[in-house]
Amino acid sequence: MYLSLNWVKNWLKLPKDISAKQLALDLTMSTVEVEEVIDQAAMLDKIVVGKIKEITKHPNADRLQVCQVDIGETTSKIVCGGSNLTKGMLVAVAQIGSQVRWHGEGELVTLAKAKIRGVESNGMIAASTEIGLGDLFPVKDENEILDLSAHKVKSGQPLSEALGLNDIIIDIDNKSINHRPDLWGQYGLARELAAIYKIKLKEYAVADLTPQSKGKLKVTVTDKKNCFRYLGLAISGVKVIESPLWLKSQLQAVGIRPINNIVDVTNYILYELGQPLHAFDNRQIANNNIEIKQAQKGESFVTLDGEKRKLPEGALMIADSEKYVALAGIMGGQNSEISQDTTDIIIEAANFRDISIRHTSVVLGLRSESSARFEKSLDPVIAETAIKKAAQMILELCPDAVVASQLVDVNNNPFKEVSLQVPEALINNRFGVVIPTADIKDILKRLQFEVSYKAKTFNIKVPSFRATKDISIPEDIVEEVARIYGYDNIQAQLPIVTLQEPRANIAYQAGRDIKRWLALSQLYNEVYTYPFTDQGWVKKMNLDIIQHIKLKNAVSPEQGYLNLSLLPNLLKRAEENMRWYEEFRIFELERVFDKSSKGVYHTEKSKNKFLPKQDKVLAGVEVSKQTQEQLFLSIKGLISSMMSYWGIDWNTERINLSYAKAAYQIKYQENVLGYFGILDSGLFDSGGAKVNVGFWQEDFTLLIKYIGQAPKFRQLPKYPSINRDLAVIVDKDLNWQEIENEVLKVSPLMQHIEPFDIFVGQSIGDDKKSIAFHLEFRSDDRTLLAEDIDKVMENIVEILQKKFQAVRR
Amino acid sequence: MEKKLQDLKKTFMSEMDNVKDSQFLADLKKKYLGRKGELTGILKEVKDMASEEKPRVGKLANEIKEELTEVFNKTEKIIKNKGDQAIDFDPTMPGTKRQTGHLHPSTIVQQEVEDAFVSMGFSVYDGPQLESDYYNFTALNIPEEHPARDSHDTFWLEQNWLLRTHTSNLQVRMLEKHGAPFRGIFPGRCFRYESTDASHDHTFFQLEGLMIDKGINIGNLIATMKSLLSAVFNTDVDVRLRPGFFPFVEPGFEMDIKCLVCEGKGCSVCKQSGWVELMPCGMVHPEVLKAGGVDPNEYSGFAFGLGLTRLVMMKYRIDDIRLLESGDLRFLKQF
Repeated sequence: MYLSLNWVKNWLKLPKDISAKQLALDLTMSTVEVEEVIDQAAMLDKIVVGKIKEITKHPNADRLQVCQVDIGETTSKIVCGGSNLTKGMLVAVAQIGSQVRWHGEGELVTLAKAKIRGVESNGMIAASTEIGLGDLFPVKDENEILDLSAHKVKSGQPLSEALGLNDIIIDIDNKSINHRPDLWGQYGLARELAAIYKIKLKEYAVADLTPQSKGKLKVTVTDKKNCFRYLGLAISGVKVIESPLWLKSQLQAVGIRPINNIVDVTNYILYELGQPLHAFDNRQIANNNIEIKQAQKGESFVTLDGEKRKLPEGALMIADSEKYVALAGIMGGQNSEISQDTTDIIIEAANFRDISIRHTSVVLGLRSESSARFEKSLDPVIAETAIKKAAQMILELCPDAVVASQLVDVNNNPFKEVSLQVPEALINNRFGVVIPTADIKDILKRLQFEVSYKAKTFNIKVPSFRATKDISIPEDIVEEVARIYGYDNIQAQLPIVTLQEPRANIAYQAGRDIKRWLALSQLYNEVYTYPFTDQGWVKKMNLDIIQHIKLKNAVSPEQGYLNLSLLPNLLKRAEENMRWYEEFRIFELERVFDKSSKGVYHTEKSKNKFLPKQDKVLAGVEVSKQTQEQLFLSIKGLISSMMSYWGIDWNTERINLSYAKAAYQIKYQENVLGYFGILDSGLFDSGGAKVNVGFWQEDFTLLIKYIGQAPKFRQLPKYPSINRDLAVIVDKDLNWQEIENEVLKVSPLMQHIEPFDIFVGQSIGDDKKSIAFHLEFRSDDRTLLAEDIDKVMENIVEILQKKFQAVRR
Repeated sequence: MEKKLQDLKKTFMSEMDNVKDSQFLADLKKKYLGRKGELTGILKEVKDMASEEKPRVGKLANEIKEELTEVFNKTEKIIKNKGDQAIDFDPTMPGTKRQTGHLHPSTIVQQEVEDAFVSMGFSVYDGPQLESDYYNFTALNIPEEHPARDSHDTFWLEQNWLLRTHTSNLQVRMLEKHGAPFRGIFPGRCFRYESTDASHDHTFFQLEGLMIDKGINIGNLIATMKSLLSAVFNTDVDVRLRPGFFPFVEPGFEMDIKCLVCEGKGCSVCKQSGWVELMPCGMVHPEVLKAGGVDPNEYSGFAFGLGLTRLVMMKYRIDDIRLLESGDLRFLKQF
């Protein structure tokens, strides 16, 4: 939305000492966000009016001419190729240093002194398109230069001044006025400026209309739910021509392309009051009959941009007695648009339900200046002001035109007057500073609220243009007062509150701890990946994509499903990093989404429907040059340390995973907490490097429920321990765990047993392996003697032989 | 004789003071205490002295001998402990690499911000990323067809679920669960359906804050954020409020921070304005309090949505947001 300072000057006198920049800042601090300040005159800097005194042929070029141009105090020699050059013509001279667009295309360039085919030229005689005035002065022929002879201009005058193109335009962020239907027009913005600067605002005055002839315009509102008000007025005897320059340049200043006088008037009012209007060609309206009703299923309609559109069922339509003539509040129809030979028109000023317009506009993907305003919930009162003003302007622009019907007004305005009782204490308490009562009253009055004050309470009547949605509760009044009073006047003060009991948050603490632990002690690098699962890896891992939650609107098909595991994305990232690193470890802690299980989060207040499970998982990938066995032991060691860090007494069991060479579950009692393993090496593209890939993934949300108590202190040993080593040959597939269990049972003196070497080779037989391990013995009540241990060692060897046919090496 | 002994002691002591190495020390030992040393010589003379003087001088000579021996031993210990000659290593050689892993820069910044809030008595909470329309929009005073939904480009899923567009989805959930008074922050991942470029990503991090208590006002919001941001940026920061519209707060604000690059003088980072837009915030709307089961007549509060990803980019001067989710270790190992 553009604010034109020239435009608002119709109703107020801005303080002289306020620069455009300051005004933009003041608006930003009190009302809306300003994106940019555009100075029209600056765009036309160093462009002046010139009068052609002499034209001679260019010595070296047939199509060029050399002109002597009077630019006020001096005469300039300029080379020009204009097709319409004549002596005495008033033209726009772009001088050295001005900004132009060659042939109206491409980037702006700064003019420099130049020799054109050997003749020096001091600037150029510009075409309208070359100096950004193509909309105001449309060109008929591409070599045509801008002819200003018909205008009251003098040579030497800066062009901006000569044509009144000296507006300051403030570009306002539309997002910041989504909630303010009143600010979608210049008058509403003027009202804000008046409140901010404490200046007088002229009332927006319109005259009543007197019909010259009694046309029969009939308006029937069938859909009262969605059409709050509909005003129609017939005008006959109009002549559709180009608008006068002041109107065209005012529209152009706010970014609207002038079309013809009738359409320009409707656009002018749209931008002045924020009220969309529409003009129909009365010839095309059957029986002077207008009806507002809903579209039926399967219907279509050609809008004035020539597009045939499939209408959503229930779309609000304007019809005559035979056909649809407009898509209400969004766009007119091609069948009834104003054309060059239109003489009789019907003007519409209506008010439609915000939700209805928004819905249709979203479904059709068709946004317009009109729909953008209706969906903000406009004030139905303004429609009447707007149609009167439009008629007045058309009558002024077309001297032969007459009002040809009564002003038909079907008014079902549903908005009630809003009155609020706002305790003075609410304003001051929220603000944190006491604002004098008189100041509060004054601010509200400047914003056109009616205010009275009794028993420390403000009784406030909200003006209709703020009462459609915007202002409805006392807190809204707090904002109105505070923003005009100035947020800068608020005193920063830390809140004084009662201490609260600490709330233990194991998930939060454990998450932080384990991330640090992995990064700082386990050489793991934390990565973040998208929630969208990598489908290439899902396929490679032979996972079922159907079990993943599908997006209705994915940014790309590859990002069409949510993660059910973190591994596909981590493996993808691991593969990518192979370009730079041969060995590395990465991990991530994030949520994954499982539609097959009910989660803990409910969907609404009733708390009886639930979202899918979205537990946090902790997963890692290790790319290593170690052998598969070494890597397996490394990851097993990682899981063990992690579990002992958390105090979880875990166990493991082999499982089959389609993508793993070997995989094992991480279990606590019967609960599966996760799994780990070695990736099938054929799946991973290592770019030729000889690496193995290990992976692990844990259900973090589940796991933290089993985090154990702090370890209990044990007395330090009073007597020394004795260490022995033992090596035995056993069957190759005997699990270490079985040996350990047996050995620990042999004697209460056994403290610890740990394998340190495994050997496999033909010398001991193909189906055998040799395991060497450390043994630690200790007694709590005496110093052990070698003989004590010898006896135990004998027992161990004996037991192992009996149980596993082990042979001592 | 006595004088001779005292002189000997004096010269011994002064020579001992100058001992630098063990060689010199050995020479001194030979010179004074050795078999042919000076003290031994005097002791020999004592033998030949008259008997009435003998016990007195003998005693003194022995005392001096003990004293000198003691001083000598002490010095010897000090000299010996000096060990070998100093070595000059090449300090320009690279040290043996001690490998370490790295936390993600967003994690680092998030933890810093969390710590600052926790020290001010806020608790840290977490919640769903896959969310219902109700908690993401409707409960926050953004009913269906509300134009504010336009600025939330949403990823939609089956059953009308969605990926949360902001961490504000936890406001009503947390009030339902914990009630008032409440002081909490909810950091986490949010999503917007939009195409990515150097400054936009469809996945980003926010940190929502919510404080509900009796008599909370706008000045409290400013002071809290000012203290907190000063802690995060490790310098005294200046903030300002200006109007901003968000349906779940009333009044609503945009909070700007005085440009840390130019200190408010105007530069390319702040587009010459001296201020950088930092976060939306406001006083919690009574409808939101009601949705969370809190009586708006009794309690008021503020809420804010800090853009964590933006903060990370500001802090480390990262110029491409996509690096954060790239998993590229060349990037991640820098933090």
